[in-house]
Amino acid sequence: MHLLSKGKIMLKSYSELFLLTAILVISAATPGKCQSSGSPVVMTDRAAARFLDQATWGPTPASITKLQLMGIRNWLAWQFSLNSSELPDQPIVLGGGQNLDPIPVQRAFFQNTVTGEDQLRQRVAFALSEIWVVGWQQIREVYAIPPYWRIFRDNAFANYRDILEAVTLNPAMGSYLNMANNNKGNPAYGTAANENYARELMQLFTLGLTQLNQDGSPVLDQNHKPVPTYSASVVPNMAKALTGWTYPTAPGAVTQDNNWSPYYIGRMFAVERNHDTTAKTIFGNITIPSGQTAEQDLVSVYVALMQQSTMAPFVCQQLIQHLVTSNPSPAYIQRVSNVFLDNGRGVRGDLRAVITAILTDPEARAGDDPGALTNPNFGHLREPVLFIANILRGLNATLGPNSLLNYGTAVLGQNPFYAPSVFSYFSPRFHTEKGLLGPEFQIYSTQTAADRANTINSALYGSLDGTMKPDDGSTKTDLTLFTGPTKELNRQSAGDLDTMLDSISRVFLHHSMSSNLYQAAYSAAQTAGDKKARAQAALYIVLTSGEYQIIK
Amino acid sequence: MFTRRTFCQIGAASVGSLALRSFGLLPALAQSSPDYRALVCVFLLGGNDSNNMIIPMDDANYQAYRALRGDIALTGSALAPTVQSIDGKPYAFHAKLAELSNLFSSGKLAVAANVGPLVQPLSRVQFQQGLAPVPSNLFSHEDQTIRWQTSMAQDTIVISTETGWAGRAADYISAQKANSSQFPPFLSVAGNTLLGTGAITQPLVIAPGQSLGLIGFNKTPASQRRWSALNSLLSLESGVSLVQASNDMLAHSIADATGLNNALSKATQLKTQFPNTPLGMQLRQVAQIIQVHTDLGMRRQIFFCCMGGFDTHTSELSSLNYIYSLLSPALAAFFDATEELGMAQSVTTFTESEFNRTFQLTSGGGTDHGWGGHQLILGGAVQGGQVFGRFPKFQFGGPDDTDTRGRWIPTTSIDQYGATLCSWFGIPDAILPSVFPNLKNFGSSKLGFMG
Repeated sequence: MHLLSKGKIMLKSYSELFLLTAILVISAATPGKCQSSGSPVVMTDRAAARFLDQATWGPTPASITKLQLMGIRNWLAWQFSLNSSELPDQPIVLGGGQNLDPIPVQRAFFQNTVTGEDQLRQRVAFALSEIWVVGWQQIREVYAIPPYWRIFRDNAFANYRDILEAVTLNPAMGSYLNMANNNKGNPAYGTAANENYARELMQLFTLGLTQLNQDGSPVLDQNHKPVPTYSASVVPNMAKALTGWTYPTAPGAVTQDNNWSPYYIGRMFAVERNHDTTAKTIFGNITIPSGQTAEQDLVSVYVALMQQSTMAPFVCQQLIQHLVTSNPSPAYIQRVSNVFLDNGRGVRGDLRAVITAILTDPEARAGDDPGALTNPNFGHLREPVLFIANILRGLNATLGPNSLLNYGTAVLGQNPFYAPSVFSYFSPRFHTEKGLLGPEFQIYSTQTAADRANTINSALYGSLDGTMKPDDGSTKTDLTLFTGPTKELNRQSAGDLDTMLDSISRVFLHHSMSSNLYQAAYSAAQTAGDKKARAQAALYIVLTSGEYQIIK
Repeated sequence: MFTRRTFCQIGAASVGSLALRSFGLLPALAQSSPDYRALVCVFLLGGNDSNNMIIPMDDANYQAYRALRGDIALTGSALAPTVQSIDGKPYAFHAKLAELSNLFSSGKLAVAANVGPLVQPLSRVQFQQGLAPVPSNLFSHEDQTIRWQTSMAQDTIVISTETGWAGRAADYISAQKANSSQFPPFLSVAGNTLLGTGAITQPLVIAPGQSLGLIGFNKTPASQRRWSALNSLLSLESGVSLVQASNDMLAHSIADATGLNNALSKATQLKTQFPNTPLGMQLRQVAQIIQVHTDLGMRRQIFFCCMGGFDTHTSELSSLNYIYSLLSPALAAFFDATEELGMAQSVTTFTESEFNRTFQLTSGGGTDHGWGGHQLILGGAVQGGQVFGRFPKFQFGGPDDTDTRGRWIPTTSIDQYGATLCSWFGIPDAILPSVFPNLKNFGSSKLGFMG
């Protein structure tokens, strides 16, 4: 009875008691199903909350219990089957002009993080969208956002090649990196094919700059220099292979060889007279033969890219960094890369298998056991969207028609859908002062560190995006999980503070609060007044702490 | 309670060589002069097409320019009036850079031609045949930004110890105790940047117009208790690396907020009007901090500003019209503000950009990623009205081209460019090689634009 003897489970209702009983029964019937790393058969509260910190926007009491009931494998299968979070299509025209108002899309995005059931799909889709970046300040027209976002939502557990193909012919990416209307070079005008998409497709989306071993380490030549993935001359050749595509024809418009006005719904189409049919030598000394159509060249490019084993560690390391830890061990990267290369059924690029491998890896799960030795470098900084979404879920927030949460994350360096460049909000290669990889630290500065603390202040003592009036339609939080019933705010008894800190630790720190943090939060809360003031003070100390900001 | 000193001690233990070497061997900077000097970097992110920023107007160059640049060649009213450099050569700036053209004429603005990252001087033959070392990952935005910020042409083996050249200069300033306070010598108004990351100093980052400091605290005992709890946690060594890095940043922020906010409360409103653009607001913030430098205890400061939008792969004519019309008034206003403060001689503004762009255009009327590009240096101490270094030969496949598209091999290195700035800033000749390790590979470490 590991769970109950630890005293970490707080039963507040018969339904939870029922669920617990169910967990124990199921677990007894299917020994070993929940865990792969030798932990107890029944998932502990800590293990469940911790897993949910990696696989969702943040644990809640209900989601913790549900995971304990299902076990990781069943929970994953359930999540793989869900696809419920929608960003509603937006009108093309608003007020007689272009629709440039992203607020409805961003509001729906945050609503999904708080209440959408397909939490893992959302997390993976968001991570993929941070690799295949379109920064919408350049596209501006917001009706293009939902179709682009659905590429990642719908393919989060599909094949990496599905994403490669869908993005390459997506008109928004076509506009962003100039795949659209990239005509072959014209000697009369002294022009050459545009290199933009060709370069970033290789550098940022699929291969990176340096050839990698399966464990993520660079391949070195005999002089111990990293071997580049492609030489400078490959880029103009790839650019030629990608010529000849233009925007879909807008309804009512006449199809041209170059549709110069972007239309962002549907797929780009090829115009052969704009396609460069010469032979092209690309990375890996692969030659695309002369005389192929634009579509045939594109297939050659897809096939060539998927053949590069460098893609596996290049993509897997980034997904691990987004979900689990900034500094995965080479062995961890290798285990996941191997799954990327072959899902066990001979298929390369199977994201469902890759995500499973990432989340169930012994290195990801090691911290589930409070007694296990943990790597002091494990974990990653919550990026602003994850930080805000986690607070919303942990504080049982309700979004209203006037919720404007993107302003808060934008101040922290992450306005959803508006990455400042194709290099995203932060680089997977960014290092902290301590010499560790810490991608999210690129947008964590003296300014945004203070802004995070001040955001927490607003969430606890004021409002994240409105006034403190109950009916202003803004985002409302609810501390009763930590204070107990409102009518009993002034009734305090010995042990209340311990109980409150336990529930804070459960939701926000998966029961891993250090004694130092516990004492600091206790000390801040002790003199704060009624239970609400105590909860506010304790939560402020916990949420501003590095222990919380870094998901371990 | 955490102090800035903690940072310095941690840093000094791990690096120190630069700091140690500077002690004793050389006159301390504090003794050399009592003046104030500031360097202000304006980073043009995306790769500024400086081929269209300033154009040599002598017949041979301009004819070649027009022939090769085709639809994006600037002619007529797309050019500011031709100006003469001090040595009598004609140049024209982009028409939207009219303010900068005037500053060139009045001797406040200089141009450094065809600057870029290099390991050593490099010819086309050496480049094409792999006969000499070249910078890592040429033509990549992220990598060339790192090159410009570190002045390390090649990736170091241990990339995690990378520092920026301005950070290394700040380390020296800090080790010399040139400033009388612990306030960081490097301040960014445009987010984190490797440029200002030193071995012993770390940048302070603020957002323009926003103050640092935590809100929500007052004098009540409960609030004071919470404040103490917060700070006691930040002062602990957790032993958990990323947690520590997170706590250190907040501690750093809290430690410097009071000093900065107190100093800024003494600032008076500048009469100079800045454009209400991101760069305008950044530069106004820098001017305000320069105004209160004595309150901050600063005698040497380096600032970082940044402007995006320069990745002009298509429709370059309209894009450059727009971004240059934002750039020029902001830089000019900043120069005016330094004059208003009586500090124009003490403040030198300079541009960086990760690369120039191909001289050849793309099918969409834009340009792709290049290499060597022209940079602007602005200030009262600048030897303005001159072009330093040489322009590349405008010829596809010519002696300065890496390939056939006009990606210019730099003829001046970042090391030389940065060393010229740092030398004026107060970094002694003997220290410059520790700030710019490849400087020794180039003939001259002073380009002349700072006298």
